[in-house]
Amino acid sequence: MFFVELIAQSLVQGSIYALIALGLTLVYGLLRILHVAHASLFTLGAYIGVLTYNATGSMVLTLLAAMAVSGLSGVAMFRLAYQPILKQPPHVALIASIGLFIAAEECFRIIFGASGLSFANPPLQGQVQLFGGLQFKQAELAVMGGTALIIGMLGWLQTRTRIGVACQATVSDPQMAESFGIRLTMVRDLNFLIGSALAGFAGVWVALLNNLVEPTMGSVPSYKALAIIVLGGLGSVPGTLMAALVLGLVESFGTVYLGKVLDRNAIAFAFLIVVLMVRPQGLFAKR
Amino acid sequence: MKFSGTTPSALAAIGMALLSGVALADIKIGITVPLTGFAAADGKSALDGAKLAVAQTNAKGGVNGEKLDMVVYDDQASPKEAVPAATKLIEKDKVVGAVSGSYSGSTRAASAIFQAAQVPYVVSYAIHPDITRSGDFMFRVSAMGEVQGRGGAKLVSSLGKKKVVLITLKNDFGQSLAAGFKEGAAKYGITIAGEHEYSIQDRQFGALVSAVKAQEPEVIYASGYFYTAGPLVNQLRAAGVTATIIGQEGYDSEKFMEIAGPASEGVLITTSLDRDSTNPATKAFLADFKAANNAGADMVAAATYTATQVLIDGLRKTGGKGGAALRDAIAAGTYDSAIGKLSFNDLHEVNKDLQVQVVKDKSFRRHSVISDPVLLAAPTKASR
Repeated sequence: MFFVELIAQSLVQGSIYALIALGLTLVYGLLRILHVAHASLFTLGAYIGVLTYNATGSMVLTLLAAMAVSGLSGVAMFRLAYQPILKQPPHVALIASIGLFIAAEECFRIIFGASGLSFANPPLQGQVQLFGGLQFKQAELAVMGGTALIIGMLGWLQTRTRIGVACQATVSDPQMAESFGIRLTMVRDLNFLIGSALAGFAGVWVALLNNLVEPTMGSVPSYKALAIIVLGGLGSVPGTLMAALVLGLVESFGTVYLGKVLDRNAIAFAFLIVVLMVRPQGLFAKR
Repeated sequence: MKFSGTTPSALAAIGMALLSGVALADIKIGITVPLTGFAAADGKSALDGAKLAVAQTNAKGGVNGEKLDMVVYDDQASPKEAVPAATKLIEKDKVVGAVSGSYSGSTRAASAIFQAAQVPYVVSYAIHPDITRSGDFMFRVSAMGEVQGRGGAKLVSSLGKKKVVLITLKNDFGQSLAAGFKEGAAKYGITIAGEHEYSIQDRQFGALVSAVKAQEPEVIYASGYFYTAGPLVNQLRAAGVTATIIGQEGYDSEKFMEIAGPASEGVLITTSLDRDSTNPATKAFLADFKAANNAGADMVAAATYTATQVLIDGLRKTGGKGGAALRDAIAAGTYDSAIGKLSFNDLHEVNKDLQVQVVKDKSFRRHSVISDPVLLAAPTKASR
């Protein structure tokens, strides 16, 4: 029973990691930028979520608002910070990204206050009893369901629609794609829009599970998402999803059985190091 | 209504400010406090408390006719920021004394600098034992972690419970509480059914909660700050864990109830601020803080307010002079403060009762007071 509960918890955690890491892997696949500031869009989504829900009381509006604001901010970040330095070596963009991330944390603190925000009446807090005493918060079930749905939609978008195929073409050979009439800027904008909206979506759920949004809530996801995309074999979407779930499992069991020796973040990185020693290309890389 | 009380004091403050322009040089005191980074929320509370103490002093004519000027440096609750902050306070601002409104890690680092420069440093809520060990220019107004932990064990025993699971925050604060609790548990025949640790960045405790649930404790002794404890308590209750939860002064903020929501009801904490106190000093502080900041005070604010008052009181006795005279004046004083009656022992630690508060209708109320001079004795020079 205890094992089932731990596995269930790792699914919840893995879903959240998947949502955050997906945007990062999309950006990496397309532009080869390690987009650390991605995690600040996760925090932004959480803030917008709490503010919208406290004002309107509608979960649908909350999710839409958070995804819209995070998504558009992601596009703005690309246009203003990354686009001008695309020709520079990748570490230039990385430095810009870290700078953006730190600046964003401090902006959140200045605008929304140091002590964080909470939902006045958090929704979806009820208990759902499943078989054998397994108990979930409604929000936990919703985050798993929501993640599966969104990722399914994304997979369909990428393989079955023109725009998805255009994205894939741009990833594998941008110059060739451009010469076939694919507008690179549009593909890149769309990439940032979708990836950042997913981070905002994740932010709302984490806010709901913890009932706390803080300026620094992106700091752990910022580097853990990097670990996940490395594990998943940089730039691979299915690999990233699997890596997120595997990391969720490793962390859940690690917290319980190794928690006295190593903390959860240390466990995640110890796992990353071990995997990279055995499979330097990541767990699921094809190339 | 509110204005009739504040206007004269505001006028007095302006008057003092004008006067001080032509009066002698101001007396400079310093404060190290985390204003950015993960501990910024506590830092803001601490600074609000310290500012209140300084403003009240200046409104009443300052110290020895001179205005107090408080120099503030952000230490980000990090040792590497605390060292330059302390150095600047001493070398550049030439403060006569300083207050720590920060956590153990940064306060420990700063304490060595203040000690070397022989500048008294009054510590409000950092509870690591090494701080007062830095030397005789250090003072601490709150109970150390081990002491609070022992008090927690006594509380469990007075509730008639035996089976406890520990959830410990992996830092100076959490680990010294756990050490004290285990010491007390042995004395009261309490069984520790499980021990878990988490890091200060954790907000999601899914796996840990499942493990605690499987151990079926009667009491959960969980260390943490409101921003870790809020989500933790919320998630424990959401998973159907009904055991009594005991926390400590790190929970002591209105934000805790806001984050944990209805799950916070019935949570017990050991702290130094009693909201239902009949002590005039505590009542006055609670009212003044509310008027000045439009928010209720928490333990951090009360402790930093008290630490600042202790320093100011010492300065009154020395006529604004620092150094060994100030150290001796502070050490000799007795204080009727917002967090109870205080006097320092030879290690400059305080002996005092532990307040047990319970969350009732979204606020902290008095549950009981643990008064046990032997169990709650602060360490002395001889004891270590």
